[in-house]
Amino acid sequence: MTFRAVLAILLCKALRLFSRLVHRGGTAMPGRYALRVCPDLLAILARDVRSVAITGTNGKTTSSRMIEEAFAEQGLSYFANRSGANLISGITTEFVMNCTPGGRMKKEYAVIECDEAAARTVFGQLKPRVIVVTNLFRDQLDRYGEVTHTLENIRVAVQGAPGALLCLNADCSLTSSLAEDLPNRCVFFGIDKGAVPSREKPELSDATHCIRCKTEYEYDYISYGHLGGFRCPHCGYARHEADYAVTDVVEQRADGSSLVMDIRGTKQLVEVNLPALYNVYNAAGALAAAVEMGVDLPVAISALGRFQCGFGRMEKFDLGGGARIMLVKNPAGCNQVLEFLQNIKEKFILVVCLNDRPADGTDVSWIWDADFEALAGMTGRLEQVIVSGDRAGDMRVRIKYAGISDAFIQEERDYEALVDKLEKTDKPIFIMPTYTAMLDLRQVVIRHCGGAEFWE
Amino acid sequence: MELKICHMYPDVLNLYGDGGNIRCLTRRLQWRGIGAEVTRMPIGSPASLSGYDLVFIGGGQDFEQQVLLEDLHRGKDREIRAAVEDGLPFLTICGGYQMLGSYYETYDGQRCDFIGALDLYTVGSKVRMIGNYSFRCGEESGGSVVVGFENHSGKTWLGSGVQPLGKVLSGYGNNGEDGSEGARYKNVFGTYSHGPLLPKNPAFCDHILLTALERKYGTAELAPLDDTAERAAHDEVLARLG
Repeated sequence: MTFRAVLAILLCKALRLFSRLVHRGGTAMPGRYALRVCPDLLAILARDVRSVAITGTNGKTTSSRMIEEAFAEQGLSYFANRSGANLISGITTEFVMNCTPGGRMKKEYAVIECDEAAARTVFGQLKPRVIVVTNLFRDQLDRYGEVTHTLENIRVAVQGAPGALLCLNADCSLTSSLAEDLPNRCVFFGIDKGAVPSREKPELSDATHCIRCKTEYEYDYISYGHLGGFRCPHCGYARHEADYAVTDVVEQRADGSSLVMDIRGTKQLVEVNLPALYNVYNAAGALAAAVEMGVDLPVAISALGRFQCGFGRMEKFDLGGGARIMLVKNPAGCNQVLEFLQNIKEKFILVVCLNDRPADGTDVSWIWDADFEALAGMTGRLEQVIVSGDRAGDMRVRIKYAGISDAFIQEERDYEALVDKLEKTDKPIFIMPTYTAMLDLRQVVIRHCGGAEFWE
Repeated sequence: MELKICHMYPDVLNLYGDGGNIRCLTRRLQWRGIGAEVTRMPIGSPASLSGYDLVFIGGGQDFEQQVLLEDLHRGKDREIRAAVEDGLPFLTICGGYQMLGSYYETYDGQRCDFIGALDLYTVGSKVRMIGNYSFRCGEESGGSVVVGFENHSGKTWLGSGVQPLGKVLSGYGNNGEDGSEGARYKNVFGTYSHGPLLPKNPAFCDHILLTALERKYGTAELAPLDDTAERAAHDEVLARLG
């Protein structure tokens, strides 16, 4: 341990203590300053830790929490960057908070969620044992650029960790292309043909043409978006067989799903304690990662049936007739949440909170790529639609053009007033906020009905 | 009355909520009892534009550009040039707008020939022009103030054969230098504004619809709609831009 490293660790710990004294999260700032003092601090600390890193555009946080639950049930000594501070600064803070002042790590394992643009700077230092790439969808174009750029970022990032096992979504043609030209060992997870009824080809797909030769893909089946059994008729690039394969989605309920999985040749019944098809992918990926990190298969399966996600991902609150906060940030994720709503049987209240701060993406055009038209088919069950957030005006127009009468749409920008109103209902409430709207609204909800602060 | 709308390349030019413009065009026709029929013209479909009253082309990724150009040069380029000269209304945005020009020159000097329907060209730059912005349309384009979101690194320069669509009030527009935004030629409306463009700018949307209806039926009128929500969203962005 160098003098610089020790100095950086002490600075980081002091800044964190100060942040908490003034009631701030202090998740990223201490690490940022520590890295200025010692730029390779993360590499030094990560050397003695077995890490699994999770990246991709959708499902990082949920997958990380699932892996964490598996580690906990296995009794592993681990830590995680739980607060969503997923750039190198936040990850470094988390490592420092789990080491002694002399730089000795107190835990053996780490579950690290990593922003897909930040992966380039993180993976080379972190040297994860396993890297999960959940999927790649178009996401915050003003921030990340085209989805192929994000893919390129991840490819370069993985080159910094040639020893890592890649855990890839077999059904995502973008993600699984990482296996084509990187030397890393790979395992695949996915949903097999016939496990869910195949969709029509969507009007909007984020990967229509072959990543290798730009010929249009053919599909055996589509699970959603561009995910499914793709095949390039020209160069032969096609879906890899999944090592962790969902072979049957037996039941999708409002509170979870029951699956049959084929894991390296054996059939397993898997309960996922979180609804919606996108969480079936998250569960399959998390299961693969946990097992490859050394968790026993039955333990990993049991963890999926038990875990609670929280932090705005289908998080439940005791508000009104029961509320769920369901983070949305890009068209693919938003469509999955809208699809989940189609399975709700009773009358409910829908709240959509649209912000356009840097962490949300400053460009709100993506709401027009999401299928809010689905709401028009739910009018019998929509008790009320409320729009909120900095760009509530845009959201209101979007929902109007989706076929909901403008007179039916209420605007409430003040979160206190909004939660006051929601408290009075006995109907279920579904809240779809963007990231920063979720942070703010969640705090107000917690003040009214309890829950944890974001860094806890 | 009815408008037949052609949505060109919805499979690859669909990056920034472009579908919202199509929804807006059709809804605002339907709310007035005017028929709207949208035909998708993806890559590989036959080139003919005859029978259409309005063509929409959106913006896309660099990744598919080569596929797109190959398809254009299989006859759609000729068809588009002829339709433009014939006065067919076009609304083209970002990549679709650049594509109607003569060429795109990348930052490092590589030149890519576009279809040359409009007298303009685009040169790549290192800076990305990105953010909410606003411009005032010229009188021949209805004169309304438009708000949108731009995200481009190409700087577009207009030749003498085309007019700008409007004057930048706040933001970059065509190139961030000469204060022009978009292009107008015959019945072509080209712009960098996605966001998408039309839902928050109902006056501009109606101007385009009227252009298409008048061309088809000689004279046309559009009954006023309740645009309270649209105008509020429009004014909010405008107020923020200061």
